[in-house]
Amino acid sequence: MDPQKNQGTGASIVARDITKIYGTGPDAFHALGPIDLDIKPGEFVSLIGPSGCGKSTTMLLVSGLEPISQGHVEIDGKPLTKPISEIGIVFQDHLLLDFRTAIQNVMLQQEIRKLDKADMRSRADALFEQLDLVGAEDKYPWQLSGGMRQRVSIARALVHDPSMLIMDEPFGALDAISRTQIRHDLEMLWLAKRKTVLFITHSIEEAVGLSDRVLVMSKSPGRIVEEISIDLPRPRPAHLGEYPEFAVYAKKIYTIFEKLGVYNF
Amino acid sequence: MAQMSTVETSGGTRGSALPAWLKSGLLTIVAVLIVMGVWQVAAIAFDVPVWLVPKPSDFMARFVSDFPLLLHHAFETSKTLLMGFALGVLIAVPLAFAITSFGALERGLFPVIVFLNIMPKTVIGPILIVWFGIGPLVAVLIVFLMSFFPVLVDSMSGFRAVDPRLYYITRSMGASPAQTFFRIRLPASMDHIFAGMKIGVVKAVEGVIIAEFIASSAGLGYLIMRASGFMDMTLMFSGLIMAALVALVFNSGMSIAEVVLMPWSRRSQ
Repeated sequence: MDPQKNQGTGASIVARDITKIYGTGPDAFHALGPIDLDIKPGEFVSLIGPSGCGKSTTMLLVSGLEPISQGHVEIDGKPLTKPISEIGIVFQDHLLLDFRTAIQNVMLQQEIRKLDKADMRSRADALFEQLDLVGAEDKYPWQLSGGMRQRVSIARALVHDPSMLIMDEPFGALDAISRTQIRHDLEMLWLAKRKTVLFITHSIEEAVGLSDRVLVMSKSPGRIVEEISIDLPRPRPAHLGEYPEFAVYAKKIYTIFEKLGVYNF
Repeated sequence: MAQMSTVETSGGTRGSALPAWLKSGLLTIVAVLIVMGVWQVAAIAFDVPVWLVPKPSDFMARFVSDFPLLLHHAFETSKTLLMGFALGVLIAVPLAFAITSFGALERGLFPVIVFLNIMPKTVIGPILIVWFGIGPLVAVLIVFLMSFFPVLVDSMSGFRAVDPRLYYITRSMGASPAQTFFRIRLPASMDHIFAGMKIGVVKAVEGVIIAEFIASSAGLGYLIMRASGFMDMTLMFSGLIMAALVALVFNSGMSIAEVVLMPWSRRSQ
């Protein structure tokens, strides 16, 4: 795959009636769907919903990392048949390799994809600068703070310039202050590169703070129950309450959660 | 553990001019000298005959005078130890990988290995002698049997230690199985494999002397056994010292290898 091919643009994701059923027979577990997705190139879309609603499953299905039980997915108009390679993945846990320094963890992309080393190194250096990681290059993961580890993990997901980024609760393990900062840094990176982002979160503030569109999911089986377009100027501030609309969006999501029985006050 | 000892070390350095490792080394030497001194004085005072309990001066003199002989047998012992241990690691690590990769092996083969491990290894000695004759090979096999299991068990937990979600990331990179193994699984398991090897080497050192008692024609165990036949107490004691030195060399060799091979480890910092 040519990493330069999608320079500057994100991939489009179209999913039709995708369903995931784990196991067969009476033990089969209907985890997800059927759901439809229409994600435009360069769009920032969040999936929000209670635990076990199939958010992570959705992410794995549209990236080809888990087989789809029914339905089909098209990436950039091409049917999905195998794991997408033009993708960056970030999980809640940084999943960095203990035996590699920060920069070596990022350069794993270059080594395995056999890309040009000097070119990738300069891309990695640029990302380290944008993610406020300068000076951490030669540190091992255990020498870094949780927030910095997650930043390295984001750099690893972006260094090969993928056309889409999938993030599964990437800030879930961080403290509130780090979360706000890293949310802003991610938004700035996204504004510069406009890759398609599928962002999974439990946090209403994160979903509204980052997304163009928020998809609210219900559980067993996982379905998309509501779609909310977030029409707020970017970059968005640390304190989202500055926008009166923020409260309206948040209220909308809370109301859906209450209706779904996610909250019981 | 590693971190705690670092803290102790730096705490110890703060108070005095000597580095902590030198201080503890000197303390050890002083303690050994005191024990030897008391032993020497007591042996003279109570007039203990050399054939019963030799004085430190007796067996230290013997250690020096027969040093070439001791060294020769120490070399044989080291060779046996190294071969048996290497064989153990070379079989245990790939086997651990196979067992953790295939559920059928874990359910079928692993219980058999666990059962075989419960069996006292030296008991197999006489059988091995029938099969292979008296010689270093039998000792090598006993060392192998003793060091194999700890390496296997720890390597298995090492291969399991990798978060399976990491494979989503490597799959998205298009990593081949070989790349995944050599760049991720194997180095990620090294911590555990080394922990197993450290236990394995202790078992091997313990086993090699016993193996040479029963089944060898060379090595320190054989030398001590033969000296026992002649009631040559000073030679037995100097053999004992040499065996301790061999153990020390192998144990510290493992620690050095760990620092060299795993520069990322906290212990190496």
